[in-house]
Amino acid sequence: MKAFYSVLFSLILITGYSQTRISGKVTDERGAGVPLANIVLVDTYDGTTSDTEGNFEFTTTETGTKVLLIKFVGYKDFQREVVLDGKPVNITVPLEEMINELEAVMITAGAFAASDESRRTVFKALDIATTAGATADIAGALNTLPGTQKVGESGRLFVRGGDGNETKTFIDGMLVLDAYSPSAPNTPSRGRFLPFMFKGTSFSTGGYSAEYGQALSSALVLDSKDQSEMTRTDIGILSVGGDIAHTQAWERGSVIGKIQYTNIRPYFGLINQEVDWEKPPVSLEGSSAFRQQVGKDGMLKVYGNFNHTNYSLYQHSIDDYNSKFLYELTNRYRYLNGFYKEALNENWIVRGGVSYTYQQNDAIADQDNIVETEKGIHAKTVFEGSLSDKVELKTGADLVQRSYSQEYIISDGDDYTRSFDETIAAGFAEADLYTSNKFVTRAGARLEYNNLTKQFSVDPRISLAYKTGSFSQVSFAYGKFRQTAKNELVRVNNTLDPEKAEHFILNYQRIENNRTFRVETYYKRYSDLVKYENGDAAILNNAGSGYAKGIELFWRDNRSLRNTDYWISYSFLDTKREYLNYPYRSTPAFASKHNFSVVYKYFVQAINSQLGFTYSYTSGRPYNNPNADKFNNGKTPAYSDLSFNWSYLPKPYLIVYLSCTNLLGRDNIFSYEYSSQQNAEGIYNSRPVRQAAPRFLFVGIFITLSKDKSVNQLPSL
Amino acid sequence: MKTLNIIPVLIAVLIMTISGTVLANDSKYIEAMQKNIEAVYTAETIPDYQTAVNALERIGAAEKTKWEPFYYASFGYIMMSNQEKDNAKKDVYLDQAVTALNKAKAIVPNESEIIAMEGFIYMMRIPADPSARGPQYTPMAMQAFNKAIAVNPENPRALALLAQMQLGMAQFFGSSTAEACATNAKALEKFTSFQSENPLAPRWGQQMVEEVKSKCGK
Repeated sequence: MKAFYSVLFSLILITGYSQTRISGKVTDERGAGVPLANIVLVDTYDGTTSDTEGNFEFTTTETGTKVLLIKFVGYKDFQREVVLDGKPVNITVPLEEMINELEAVMITAGAFAASDESRRTVFKALDIATTAGATADIAGALNTLPGTQKVGESGRLFVRGGDGNETKTFIDGMLVLDAYSPSAPNTPSRGRFLPFMFKGTSFSTGGYSAEYGQALSSALVLDSKDQSEMTRTDIGILSVGGDIAHTQAWERGSVIGKIQYTNIRPYFGLINQEVDWEKPPVSLEGSSAFRQQVGKDGMLKVYGNFNHTNYSLYQHSIDDYNSKFLYELTNRYRYLNGFYKEALNENWIVRGGVSYTYQQNDAIADQDNIVETEKGIHAKTVFEGSLSDKVELKTGADLVQRSYSQEYIISDGDDYTRSFDETIAAGFAEADLYTSNKFVTRAGARLEYNNLTKQFSVDPRISLAYKTGSFSQVSFAYGKFRQTAKNELVRVNNTLDPEKAEHFILNYQRIENNRTFRVETYYKRYSDLVKYENGDAAILNNAGSGYAKGIELFWRDNRSLRNTDYWISYSFLDTKREYLNYPYRSTPAFASKHNFSVVYKYFVQAINSQLGFTYSYTSGRPYNNPNADKFNNGKTPAYSDLSFNWSYLPKPYLIVYLSCTNLLGRDNIFSYEYSSQQNAEGIYNSRPVRQAAPRFLFVGIFITLSKDKSVNQLPSL
Repeated sequence: MKTLNIIPVLIAVLIMTISGTVLANDSKYIEAMQKNIEAVYTAETIPDYQTAVNALERIGAAEKTKWEPFYYASFGYIMMSNQEKDNAKKDVYLDQAVTALNKAKAIVPNESEIIAMEGFIYMMRIPADPSARGPQYTPMAMQAFNKAIAVNPENPRALALLAQMQLGMAQFFGSSTAEACATNAKALEKFTSFQSENPLAPRWGQQMVEEVKSKCGK
């Protein structure tokens, strides 16, 4: 009995009288106090919050050995065992900074990312849809960013003195062989992929990741949306056709189907065109996307697209307008992309996919029939993960196999076919090494083997970024890039070396609360460009070379003026190259020295409308006048354009959209074409290359039918 | 004999201590929660909120099977984002609100209050960049509120938040506020009628309803 009472007594003693006081200070790596940190005595309610100096103090009646956990956002958790026996515990807690997306420095040299998920981007997915003059074309919107040169008659992305084909498009990491719809000669083409499909766009004007190959100047990486949240039907009534889309969503997946019919004939009937159409373009396009979450972290995406376009027009002789011939083009296009992503464990993911592109241009020029067919498969697997919180690794392999053929069926003479099959096998590895949240080094390399040249190559890529302040950073990038020459050159000589470029980029960026300032300067060296030997287009070599250098400025502000968002871009470009038929180094016809654009968006609450204006200016571009002594020495007048758009939301599920390019009706001349023969006076006759029409007017009504009437197509426009 | 006598005493003591600890634990939980819920409701500054949220997270981590601590921690973070001026920091608080709420959701996957709170977080994302985020988050918030109401038609907070959203949209489109006001009236009714058996059940949101009511002119 005595023993029992003494046990009971000692129990009371322990529970009732044993209190331990725990105190200390929470600091960061520089010794400064961290306020508001959570101090937790694990598995108990006991603990406290650090004060403004980082100090803390609490008492606990717990006994024995317990774990003290200190946590605060932006820092790694700190744990230590403490013995609670009534003796005061004092502890200094140095919290270690965590490398986190929000605080960490980013590699921004050459990179413009638009994403809804990451919040520190300069550009947002919606910006693409609401930029005036772009009429919801991805390339059109990106053309308002620095680093691009406006080439009005092409519609493609020309980056830093590079030709349009030096920009490659990737969807979910998979290559797209031809990302542009066919267009009549000297009229701008549009991207095949509508901005609404993507949750993120990363537009690189140089120095991009080793994951991407076969692009000399630029990589446009589009990330398609994950699953849709709701079942809905979208109807678009457009001045140039119509579309209907239906989305069926279920718990962990969705499927979307869309059909679009475009017929520009009624529009061209109303507005006089520079082009002498026999049959203006008519196209039927269908696309479908399937999304399914698999298991806990897996995601399967399948996207397919088909397009059939047909048009015909008369081409008039430069010497005699009445002498003309019919040109008819039928384009058939199929694209299929399958993508899969799965988490291997907490730190590693694997993603991969296969894309297939088929494209055929069946052209009839006068009496001749030219059929150009290209088929390609791209397969890729990438492993991404972290070795520690400071080292991230990305490695993978990909294979591009494509076959190209051009059949020439001549009315008078021998038919012939020129073709090639190319296989490029590549492997790449890239590591991001964070020294702290302030400094990151990315080093990688891309190894490629090409079956045509039977050569291995290794291209290094290096980027550094350093945070100079809470909101500003500097970034540097270097990389070597290679790309197989254009199809029309390789079909002549299958063993041409790939063309090469080296980029050096220096960037400064400051983003503070909805204001962005960027300045970037670069030097780009071209080598092994394809050249005609002694001016003969039938004999090709890799003797060409060139350079591009420039400085670019970007300013965006959506804070200073109420309901207003605007950005200003300026690019200065100095570039010369010797390639193709160039007798010596000269500035190519697609390059312009000064490019300037202002995009202005204003929301008018009273009429539920967003109004947008885009002004672009491009200084004159060179053209070659065969009547002059010097090559490429002519200069076109400067280009300028003021475009307008208006999005009106009368009802939550209804949008009326109106846009008009070139409000001022300026007669922009892109270049001059010359006759191939001299006339009687020994002069080559010329003709300016103009816009197809001074303005393009577009009206669309977009209706969304869903159970939830708050949904509209604005996020997708 | 002596030893025999001791056994029932010992058993009695044991039973008392066991049931005592069980009872004490639950009442300790409720007591601690009530204190910290009150602290969240009455907090005025970000440090006030963080202190209360820290305490709630400690309780949640120790208890492991209770959703309320993380639910209120999430609510606290939403309130902090509401006080913060810097848009980037607002998002950090909302991210923490999501993290806390996901912990609650893992414990009770289909709780109307948690689903409504998810919608509340979506709604709070919008002010940082209304033109870009409005079209993205509005449908997500609406969907969450409707789902919360479907799970529990008696949840006054889900109705109140839905009314708030409907009012905002009616004002934006210059259309009739009748629908919003009807939802709000229903929310008001539920605030008086809805009684939860849970002593820790959420009580917030009434002030929001009063504000909408005054705008509805009734």
